[in-house]
Amino acid sequence: MLAIGLLISPLLTGVLAGLCSKYKFADLLQVIGSFVTLCLTGLIALHVFSGNVIHAFDGLIYIDALGSFNMMLIAIVGLTAAIYSVSYMRYEVQEKVITRRQLGRYYFFLHFFILTMLIVSAVDNLGLLWVGIELTTLVSAMLVAFYGTQHSLEAAWKYLIMGVVGIAFALLGIVFFYLSGLNAIAEQPAAALQWTQLFQVAGNLNPRWVEIGFIFILIGFGTKAGLAPMHFWLPDAHSQAPAPVSAVLSGVLLNTALYGIFRVYAIANVTLQGHAGDYLIAFGLFSISVTVPFIMVQHDLKRMLAFSSVEHMGIITLAVGIGGPLGLYGAFLHMFNHSMTKSLLFFSAGNIAQKYHSKYIDRISGVVKAMPFTGIVFLLAAFAVAGAPPFSIFMSEFTIMLAGADAGKLWVACTFAALIVLIFAGMSYYVIRMGFGELPARIGKKPTDWWMRIAMCIPLSLILLCGLYVPEFLEKVIHTAASVLQGGGEGFGQ
Amino acid sequence: MDSLVIAILLLSTLLLFRTRKAIDAVVIIAVQSAGLAIIALLMWQKTGMVHLLIAAILTIVVKTIVIPYILFYTVKKTEAKRNVERTMGQFGSLFIALMLVVTGQYIASHLSLPGAEHGMRYLSTAIILVFLGTFTIINNKQVLMQGIGVIVIENGLFLLTQAISYGMPLAVELGVFFDLFVAVVIIASLSFRIHSAFHSLNTEKMQDLRG
Repeated sequence: MLAIGLLISPLLTGVLAGLCSKYKFADLLQVIGSFVTLCLTGLIALHVFSGNVIHAFDGLIYIDALGSFNMMLIAIVGLTAAIYSVSYMRYEVQEKVITRRQLGRYYFFLHFFILTMLIVSAVDNLGLLWVGIELTTLVSAMLVAFYGTQHSLEAAWKYLIMGVVGIAFALLGIVFFYLSGLNAIAEQPAAALQWTQLFQVAGNLNPRWVEIGFIFILIGFGTKAGLAPMHFWLPDAHSQAPAPVSAVLSGVLLNTALYGIFRVYAIANVTLQGHAGDYLIAFGLFSISVTVPFIMVQHDLKRMLAFSSVEHMGIITLAVGIGGPLGLYGAFLHMFNHSMTKSLLFFSAGNIAQKYHSKYIDRISGVVKAMPFTGIVFLLAAFAVAGAPPFSIFMSEFTIMLAGADAGKLWVACTFAALIVLIFAGMSYYVIRMGFGELPARIGKKPTDWWMRIAMCIPLSLILLCGLYVPEFLEKVIHTAASVLQGGGEGFGQ
Repeated sequence: MDSLVIAILLLSTLLLFRTRKAIDAVVIIAVQSAGLAIIALLMWQKTGMVHLLIAAILTIVVKTIVIPYILFYTVKKTEAKRNVERTMGQFGSLFIALMLVVTGQYIASHLSLPGAEHGMRYLSTAIILVFLGTFTIINNKQVLMQGIGVIVIENGLFLLTQAISYGMPLAVELGVFFDLFVAVVIIASLSFRIHSAFHSLNTEKMQDLRG
């Protein structure tokens, strides 16, 4: 019942807010809708983390700890993005960039987008997981193209084609898994795509097909997750989308694609006796290193943040590749921290871009003076995302480094540390330049209203809290989610 | 009958690299999808599996009628009838396409997949369709033709699942059809907007974002 409610709630929100967009109460309506969605995911999480697994509709819907963890992230970022959108989009309407009618379309696609990501986390069947991830591409392409400018259309088209083609290769990989599943579970063909079933027989699958399939899926979903070298669409799409959409794209869409990879990885790693992790380490390290030059020489604020997302997706992939209880714990802690910090950073960057009428780093200076609240939040979030202590991302990066050293992969841990130090240097240089310095002669009169402040305070309080210590319940949640990948979640569910 | 369908599929897809009009490409897509429907029907006749029949009917309705209609409408409205532009010349395109056909055959014969009894002979065609679809996207500069490349890839994957395992479970198959339908609607809608923003459908003008 909960699961159905969870899927209906964003759909209803999107449709209603889309239809009533002429009136101002639509803004409030979609915030309430997102809040209901968050409450439902909270209820599901309570149910799941007290030791159950939600099954419904003959195995169509399946929510375990990992899925529930991803849903929580989606719902939190979804709610903050919905709150932030109110203020951000009202300003765009006021500036006559868009009309209220277009705003309705925006609300519809935003909530439908959140729905598609929730679907991905709520299915057991790898085929349906693919269907869900493909839908996220299609819906979010419309959000990237929302402004209809030449640049946004270019970004949306690139994103659409790269996403759809990449994901087609993932389907090819899933066909290989299906094939090996069919051979292992001959009696019930429908079960051969179900993650739970495949995971149980993972030891008996044909290693050759599983390896080919895993590589195709890693490349396919990796395109969506922004892993290098398939990340070209990402900076374009993130910089051209409206700021709340960038926050959702970066904060949870990339996680959702990684979620798809990790589900498959859990199977492949058993079949390949631990060698699947090497692929993840290679892609992870490569993604981190590719972003270094792009972050160090960057002119566009939102593009810089987008490249930072590529870096963090690389870090999470690397951590899962390193594996072990500590590595997986670090990976999911990092996933949580990155979602919160990056969405916060995109919110503040969007506010700055509206105030300065520009996303170009050269034209932005004296942010702290011009807009004290947003400026300070921006500085905090930027240092947090670059990995400065005492913020939460430092904690998880440190954990991952320890896990690397622990697993005997000292060179991986050292390379990783060197790369993030370089990125830290590049980012802080630009951030300090933007944060302080002289005010430009002409800036807009945009005030930071309460909607924006609330939207920024929610993730800010979470990252400050987690930087000092990780609350016990969060630690338990992350451990339980990580144990699903290790097979520990299996006995726990039944 | 099987060989005839395979021949139709291959020839029609190769024609994609010779055509000068986007409208012809739409017709090619319709013919190709009809071929897929016939293959699914043939396999249904041999195996009696009901979901093959459903897949065949869906292919006819969605891929041979609805999707070409949407594309046809888009081509007409955007007046993209004549301006198919490629990175390579006609000779080069066709040459590479033929090389891909040979490579596909070679790979299919070396994959040693178990495959389904009545589906195995379509394996090479399926792989070739995926290759040719990818090449269509790389080679074409026009937005709609890139969209058509996406459909060719999807068709190849559909045929591949048919060849290996008589298709995926029904719920997944329905989902894939739904996705393809949504994808085409969005491709058409973006094409309209690109046309009105750039006054053309050429992707060469869309090279501004880098770095």
